[in-house]
Amino acid sequence: MSIKEIQIPVFLKRTFNGRNVAISIPYLWLLLLFLFPFVIVLKISLAQPVIAMPPYTPLFSWGDSLWPKIQAGLDSYLFLFSDSLYIKAYLSSIKIATISTVLTLIIGYAIAYSIARAPTRWRGILLMLVILPFWTSFLIRVYAWIGILKTEGLLNLALMTLGVIEKPLIIMNTDLAVYIGIVYSYLPFMILPLYANLEKMDMNLLEAAADLGCRPFKTFWTVTIPLSLPGILAGCFLVFIPVIGEFVIPDLLGGTQTLMIGKVLWGEFFYNRDWPVASAVAIIMLLLLIVPIILYQKSQEKAIS
Amino acid sequence: MTETTTTEPWLDSNQKPYIQIENVTKKFGDFTAIDNLSLNIYKNEFFSLLGPSGCGKTTLLRMLAGFERFTEGRVLVDGEDISEIPPHLRPINMMFQSYALFPHMTVEKNIAFGLKQDKLPDNIINQRVEEMLELVELTDFAKRKPGQLSGGQSQRVALARSLAKQPKLLLLDEPLGALDKRLREQTQFELMDIQEKLEVTFVIVTHDQEEAMTVSSRIGVMDSGKLIQVATPTQIYEAPINREVADFIGDVNIFKGIYKGQDETGTQLLSEDSKSIIYATQKVDVPVGNRIWFALRPEKLEITRKLPEVDFNILKGKIEDIGYGGSFSTYHVKLENGRQLTAIRANRERTAEHHLTWGDEVYLHWAPHSAVVLLS
Repeated sequence: MSIKEIQIPVFLKRTFNGRNVAISIPYLWLLLLFLFPFVIVLKISLAQPVIAMPPYTPLFSWGDSLWPKIQAGLDSYLFLFSDSLYIKAYLSSIKIATISTVLTLIIGYAIAYSIARAPTRWRGILLMLVILPFWTSFLIRVYAWIGILKTEGLLNLALMTLGVIEKPLIIMNTDLAVYIGIVYSYLPFMILPLYANLEKMDMNLLEAAADLGCRPFKTFWTVTIPLSLPGILAGCFLVFIPVIGEFVIPDLLGGTQTLMIGKVLWGEFFYNRDWPVASAVAIIMLLLLIVPIILYQKSQEKAIS
Repeated sequence: MTETTTTEPWLDSNQKPYIQIENVTKKFGDFTAIDNLSLNIYKNEFFSLLGPSGCGKTTLLRMLAGFERFTEGRVLVDGEDISEIPPHLRPINMMFQSYALFPHMTVEKNIAFGLKQDKLPDNIINQRVEEMLELVELTDFAKRKPGQLSGGQSQRVALARSLAKQPKLLLLDEPLGALDKRLREQTQFELMDIQEKLEVTFVIVTHDQEEAMTVSSRIGVMDSGKLIQVATPTQIYEAPINREVADFIGDVNIFKGIYKGQDETGTQLLSEDSKSIIYATQKVDVPVGNRIWFALRPEKLEITRKLPEVDFNILKGKIEDIGYGGSFSTYHVKLENGRQLTAIRANRERTAEHHLTWGDEVYLHWAPHSAVVLLS
C-alpha cells in the first residue's frame, strides 16, 4: 500500500494544520490554568460552609434518588453585601491601588524618561538595574522594608543621626508603609513599558516643537506626554490590576487598620475557614477587575494597529 | 522702503548680507565637524549646502536652527547675533528630513502649532493656517492625521508648518529626499515658486547635486567641514575650482598632465591619454612643467565616426558601452591606452541614420573653450 492511498479527511486536515495547533496552545494553557480553577472557585462560592473536609457542601449530592440534588445558593454573595466590611475593603483596595498607581507613574515616568535619554551605552546597564531586584525574592525585599521603616529602623536611625528629626517617625504598620512597599515593588512594571515607548520616540519631534517656538516644559506636556500615552496606559494597568488584590505588602507593612481585599480574602480562608465566602470575595474582585482589564486590552489593540 | 534689488547681491559690496556665519567651528570630542567656516547669505536667497554625507552640512544647518552649539565663532541674522539664543526663540524655522510631523495632531493642528506658541488670537491663527493649506494645496486634508497622508502630502504639511510663522530664514534638511524622482522634480519647482512668492530666505541641505543646481541661487560645496567653493550653479558646473568639486557635481572626464606653456590656441597639456598636446582656452599662472588637470564634461565631448576636420584635441577610441537615456545616450569610450572616457550625445533624430554602436571605432573631440583647467 502506497502512502498516497491513505486519505485524510478534509475536516481533519483543516482542524490540525500548524497554524491552528499553534494558536490552540495558549488557549489550552488558559483553559487548564485559569478557566478550570476559576470554575472550581465559582462552584465553592455557591456552596455552604460546613465543618468537614473539604469545608463546604458538595454541589451535587445523590442520597437515595437516582438524580443528583443540586445544592447551590447565593448566600455567600448576599452575606458580602450585608456586612459593610467587604464593601469597605473593596473601596479601600481601589483607593490604595489608584493612589499607588499614580505615585508609581510619576516616579516611573521620571526614571524611564531619564534612561531613555541617557547615552546609548548606558541604557542597557540602567535598565538592568531596574530589573535587578527581581533576582531576589519578592518576600525578602518586602521584609527588608520592615528593617528600613520600623521605629528603630535604618531610616529613623539615619534621620536622627543627621539631626533632621528628634523622635522616630512612625511609618511601619501605617498606610504610608503600604504605599512605599507597593510603589517600590511595582516600579519595574511601570518603567519597562514606559521605557519601551519613550526610547523609540522620534527626537526630531521635540526639536520640531522647539523650532516652532515651544518651551521645553510645554513641549513635554504637548508632545512627549500625549505620544507616550500607550506606555502610560500599559504601565498603569500592569500596576493597578495586581495591586488591587495585593496581600503580602499590606499584611507585612500595613497596620491593623489597613484594609485591603487581599487581606480579607486571606482571613476568610485561613482564620474563618469560610471557603464559600472567601470564594465569593475572589469572584467579586475578579468582576471588578474585568473593567480595567478590558480597557487595557482595548488600549493594547489600539497600540498594535 | 526702497531696496535695490539685484539678482546677484553677493557681487555687490554695498549689499549687506542677511545671514553672516563668522569663523564657526564645531567639534564633537576630537572630531571637527565644522572647521572655521565663514559664509554670507543674502536676503531672499535660495542657498544650497551640497556635499557628501558626513561633510558637516547638516551640522551647520542644525547650528543655525540652534540644536547644536558651536565651539567657536558666531552667527548673525539681520545684524543680530543669535549664537546664544535657544532654538525656541530664534526667528528661524526648519523643515526636517523626516518631516517630524506630530502624529497625534491633525494637519491643521500641526500647522497651527508654531502660531499657538506665539499666543496669537484664534482668528489670526485660523486665517494663517488656511493660507498655508491653500499654498500647499492641502485644504481638503486639514482634518487628517499625518499617518493618513502620502509621502508627498506629508512633505507639504511639513513645509506649510515651517512657513506658517513667516520665519526670517527657513532651513530645509534634505526636503525632497524621501520623494520619488518624478515627484521630487515637480516639488523642486513648487519650492522655488513658494520661495519667490513668500520672499523668505531658504537654506537647503542636499546631497543631490541635480536638485541643488535646479533650485539654488548659489551653492556651497562642502567637504570635511569646510566650504570648498561657493558660487552659482552655472559657475560650479562650468568652472569648478578643483577636481573634487568637478567630480562631485555631475560627471566629468579628467586629463592629468604636465603644463607645457601657452600659445595662440591656449594652455598646452601633455597628457598620457593623448599622443599630441591637448588644449584648453583658459589661461593659468603656474610654472611650465607643473602638474595640472583638464576637466571636461561628457556633453562637451563630440563623438563621431569620421575624423573631425581639426588638428588638435582629437582622441581615438572604441565604444565599450552605451547607456540609452531616451533624450540622450551615454557612451563609454576606451582610448588606446586603456583609459575610459564618457561622452553624452543628444538623440536628436528618432532613429539615428548613422547611429553608433558597440565596438565602433570613434573619434572624440572638444573645443578648447569647453575644457576647464584645474590646478589641484
